[in-house]
Amino acid sequence: MVLKIHGHAIAPLVRLVAEVCREKEVPYELVNVEVYKGEHKTPAFKEFQPFGQVPYIDDDGFVLYESRAICRYIAKKYASQGTPDLVPRDPKAEAIFEQAVSIETSNFYPFALGITTEKIVKKHRGLEPNEARLSDLVNNLKAKLDVYEVILGKQAYLAGGSITLADLFHLPYGTIVFEELGYDMLEDRPNVARWWKEITARPSWLAVKAKA
Amino acid sequence: MIKLYGFPLSTCTRLVALVCKEKNVPYEIISVNLAKGEQKNPSFMAVQPFGQVPYIDDDGFLLYESRAIARYLSKKYPNQGTSLIPSDPKAEALFEQASSIETFNFNAFVAPIVVEKVFKPRRGLQTNEERVKELLASLLPKMDAYDLILGKQKYLAGDSVTLADLSHLPYGTAFYGLGDVFTEVFESRPNLARWWKDISNRPAWLAVKDGA
Repeated sequence: MVLKIHGHAIAPLVRLVAEVCREKEVPYELVNVEVYKGEHKTPAFKEFQPFGQVPYIDDDGFVLYESRAICRYIAKKYASQGTPDLVPRDPKAEAIFEQAVSIETSNFYPFALGITTEKIVKKHRGLEPNEARLSDLVNNLKAKLDVYEVILGKQAYLAGGSITLADLFHLPYGTIVFEELGYDMLEDRPNVARWWKEITARPSWLAVKAKA
Repeated sequence: MIKLYGFPLSTCTRLVALVCKEKNVPYEIISVNLAKGEQKNPSFMAVQPFGQVPYIDDDGFLLYESRAIARYLSKKYPNQGTSLIPSDPKAEALFEQASSIETFNFNAFVAPIVVEKVFKPRRGLQTNEERVKELLASLLPKMDAYDLILGKQKYLAGDSVTLADLSHLPYGTAFYGLGDVFTEVFESRPNLARWWKDISNRPAWLAVKDGA
């Protein structure tokens, strides 16, 4: 049975899972969850995802949530097809991959998510952004990207010479911050800009951006 | 022997020390004086470009980001000490799910509360109580989901303890130790309280909680 992704097509982390499915040439079916109507907070949804968050997958009866966990599961289950080694298998390469995953989790995502919350999520709820907080988030993200610039000056991708999930994890919120919100953080950082251009030009991402 | 570059009281240094204890892996701590800002020295940043503790030197293999180090050690020594990462693919996927739950539904709120309430006063800075209130309000529904999950299974990834459970300990202990409404977050939810009591009394944690 085809892999089912339960989520809304424009939800950033639904896109992330769809992106990894495409990289691994895994067909999927998107089962729409009406997040704008709060469907993800209903008991029927929470039966599968107790936190009330999209997405979750149903892989022939195996239910899994948390987008990064889903991406790892797909990358490992379909190791021999599509883009290879999205999760490297050699123990030291895997450790460096984990380091890169944690860099994204600790040094990128909290700031990119915070900026998105202040600028987009609050607006949807009719709230004003907290400007002091926003400015802190932007400055923090810039400082972290300065370090990315050093790392990406030495290697093509965040975990070394090959692309991994750690790079792809940046796509959904990076796209919102750098592209949709237009924060110019790439121009002064040529290595980050080169990396960003490369990962966002992947056919799988272009396809998902158009339609998850 | 593993050289652990960090600060004995740092939360992330203690996570790595905890995993070493669980896995019966001896380590030598090489103290980095955070009060003097040694983690921002060029010699430190040559290894850890973000200027954060800890990193390890395992016979010349350098690795940073505490969760990546914890995974590396768990996988390098699968047959000694406590088994912390399942190897069966579906069990591994559920471990990854639990691991992401910790990162995005626990640590994302608990760590900044600890920063506001513990670290900031220590540096002579003022706690932003408004922000603490916001973070706590976001955390509570997540803890309801934890209580539900832990009502069905003993640990966050199933019926055996994994690294996903242990990763809660350093920040969770600091949070719990704030007393008052913070302690109540755990104590008012019976399944969460049972789980917390279980993991926070593990001998490996008791051995490192007051200093790696």
